[in-house]
Amino acid sequence: MYRSQTLALKYFSAAITLFGVMTITGLISAYYYLNPDFLLGILPFNIAKILHINTLVMWLLMGFMGSIYWFLPAELGRETAGIWAAEILFYVFCAAVAVVAVVFIFIQYGGSNEAALWFINQGRKYVEAPRWAALGIVVIMVVFAYNVIGTAIAARKTTGIITVLMIDLIPLILLYLIAFPAISNMSADLFWWWWLVHLWVEATWEVLIGCIMALALMQLLGTSRRIVETWLYIEVALVLGTGILGLGHHYFWIGTPNYWLTIGGFFSALEPLPLLGMVVHAVYDAGAQHMKTTNRPAFYWMMAEAFGNFIGAGVWGFMITLPQINLYAHGTQWTVSHGHFAFWGAYSCGVISVLYLVLQKTRNLAFVDGPLWKWSFAALNLGLVGMTGALLVSGFVQAFVERAIGGSTLNAFISGQENAWFVDGMVARFLLALVFTAGYVVLVWDVLTLGRRAPAVAAVAPAQ
Amino acid sequence: MVVDDPAFWRAGAISTIAVMSVVLIMLTIDSLAAISPGGSHVPPYTVINQHIDYKFDSNRGFDVPVISGAEPLFGKSLDEATAAALIDRGKMVIQSRACIDCHTFFGNGAYYAPDLTKAWLDPDWEGWQAVTGTDTREAAMVKFLMDPEQYRTWTRAMPNLGVSEEEAQSLVAYLKWMAAVDTNGFPPNFNQIEKRQ
Amino acid sequence: MSGLATLETGLLLGLYALLAGIWGVLWGLAQFRQTQICGRSAAAAYGLHVLAALTIILWTPLGFGWKSLIVGSSLVFLAIPPMTWRLLQHTHQKEGSEHDRQPSQYSSRIVARL
Repeated sequence: MYRSQTLALKYFSAAITLFGVMTITGLISAYYYLNPDFLLGILPFNIAKILHINTLVMWLLMGFMGSIYWFLPAELGRETAGIWAAEILFYVFCAAVAVVAVVFIFIQYGGSNEAALWFINQGRKYVEAPRWAALGIVVIMVVFAYNVIGTAIAARKTTGIITVLMIDLIPLILLYLIAFPAISNMSADLFWWWWLVHLWVEATWEVLIGCIMALALMQLLGTSRRIVETWLYIEVALVLGTGILGLGHHYFWIGTPNYWLTIGGFFSALEPLPLLGMVVHAVYDAGAQHMKTTNRPAFYWMMAEAFGNFIGAGVWGFMITLPQINLYAHGTQWTVSHGHFAFWGAYSCGVISVLYLVLQKTRNLAFVDGPLWKWSFAALNLGLVGMTGALLVSGFVQAFVERAIGGSTLNAFISGQENAWFVDGMVARFLLALVFTAGYVVLVWDVLTLGRRAPAVAAVAPAQ
Repeated sequence: MVVDDPAFWRAGAISTIAVMSVVLIMLTIDSLAAISPGGSHVPPYTVINQHIDYKFDSNRGFDVPVISGAEPLFGKSLDEATAAALIDRGKMVIQSRACIDCHTFFGNGAYYAPDLTKAWLDPDWEGWQAVTGTDTREAAMVKFLMDPEQYRTWTRAMPNLGVSEEEAQSLVAYLKWMAAVDTNGFPPNFNQIEKRQ
Repeated sequence: MSGLATLETGLLLGLYALLAGIWGVLWGLAQFRQTQICGRSAAAAYGLHVLAALTIILWTPLGFGWKSLIVGSSLVFLAIPPMTWRLLQHTHQKEGSEHDRQPSQYSSRIVARL
């Protein structure tokens, strides 16, 4: 095994750990809606929420990096260039995440000065990490890019997938620089902030996971390189073709000119179209593959990725993307519902799929199957879909009671939040979050014991 | 056949991205002019010296901010530099206390606490003057921000974030300025339903 | 737009997109199973999708431009499954027998297990 692949395993361990922190802090945030005095004064809602959404970003990013460190040496036929730097930075990365988390939990806020932004909390959603940590992420990403590009140079070769990846890493790093400034004008601040958040999540990350899925498909299904590369280019063209100007759906209400209502609405309404193509592709692969996969969890999680992406990003997004609807749905639990489903479908399922592929290789398993992954697959997906359904109900109520009837004032907000349907939605969300958490626990159990539970593995028959 | 050739799709991807990126950059240049303070959609910071309202515009079909007459904040009319410094400070308070992780600004942020886009105009502040024993809206807001746990609004209390009087004043200035931003009618029906009735 | 109209339109738009997805999945399954029931279910899903589109066009207060977009999207949704399929078959056929992705005698049983 390459050193790069050993590093990949460490990244996956860290990713799954942070997935757990995300789940727990999500539970805390969800419980706040049921019992607002819970931990008030100790760990206020906003700190729990910061931990929830930042660990979301970090576990996915670490999952992506782990996937690339895993596939890269095999793809280019040599050890990753500068692997020693990546190995050191892994520990720096983990230590930095831990320090940031401790500061968030125990210090929480600073005064209204630059020092607070440098060392405690930047207070911009998704990029709350203080600037020193953000600088650290830039260094880690630059070294990561060097690892990929340097390996291609040292190997004197590249592949279509690696070329796409190398090009993608440049905007990925450049866009992250938007994490630093503190622009006073909220309209301009949010304008650039959406370049970071949208163009990361709906452009550069999409390409990144596209590359990872392409590499995974070749390993999982033995699909030929020519085919995966063709489909990667098609995906990049369609997803970025609709996604780049789809950025406009975030520019409806932040003080930007109203041509964004038309541009943002139009391009984001096109976004489900390529996602349907991916669903059809998944059905094709599932049927044509004869289910002769040696890794059922990886296969099912990859299917979940295609379907989840269509439903979460496509269907849920389409509900709220036209400006007429978005005026009422924006900034309500309706958006939360979409966000949860889309992140899950577009990214989380893919990372879990790659994790199972990696485990198959490292544990030397001819076949990966068994009862545990099915339980975790069922509980995680049921919990997630259930949560989004519950949030949707609450979101409907909020859009109706607070925005349409109430007129969006403080009192209207309270009426919406106290509405019985809203509260029921929040209770249901919390209960389903517990189901999701149970799924996570089983996932960890399965991942830790896979291939070490002799009877279970022996009992598994090839799935054909 | 050309569709089998990855090179065909690669060329397609590159040209699509190039075209879309160029369009985005052009629109960005135009939008940045519109959203700079004093641009067509965003007021200059000195707007905090004036009266701000939010009224239905039948031509545009939604509510728009209406700026009229003098109404200095805390009784003092500020010049451009002082107003800008106050707004800078307000933004710094918003970031350092991570307000956006409970509240929303222009609908962006977290959804645990009310949207602050038009908070300056919220009719509730009138009632809060009596509760806090103050005689102006801005004074009531300052008192609330400095000790939100004492003036608990409802079951979800805002935690005490150690906001000083000076910081609270800058926050109020920020919220007043933000209420004057033209947000294409967001949030909808704000305060209009009661007035129409 | 009134509050109720917002909710109704939002739900209809979601249903519209969801039915397009169901149409795509059933159409794909029908290619493997070649049974009438599959083909008919796919057609029924697209029929319901059209019904959702018609409801959006006739009943909701969306403007003309957005309604045209709905019509256009429906036509593209109709074309995506067969187009994607043809392209998939084409690219896979070229790979030769090693990676033959043509439906085989196993496929109906396999798809049934999905």
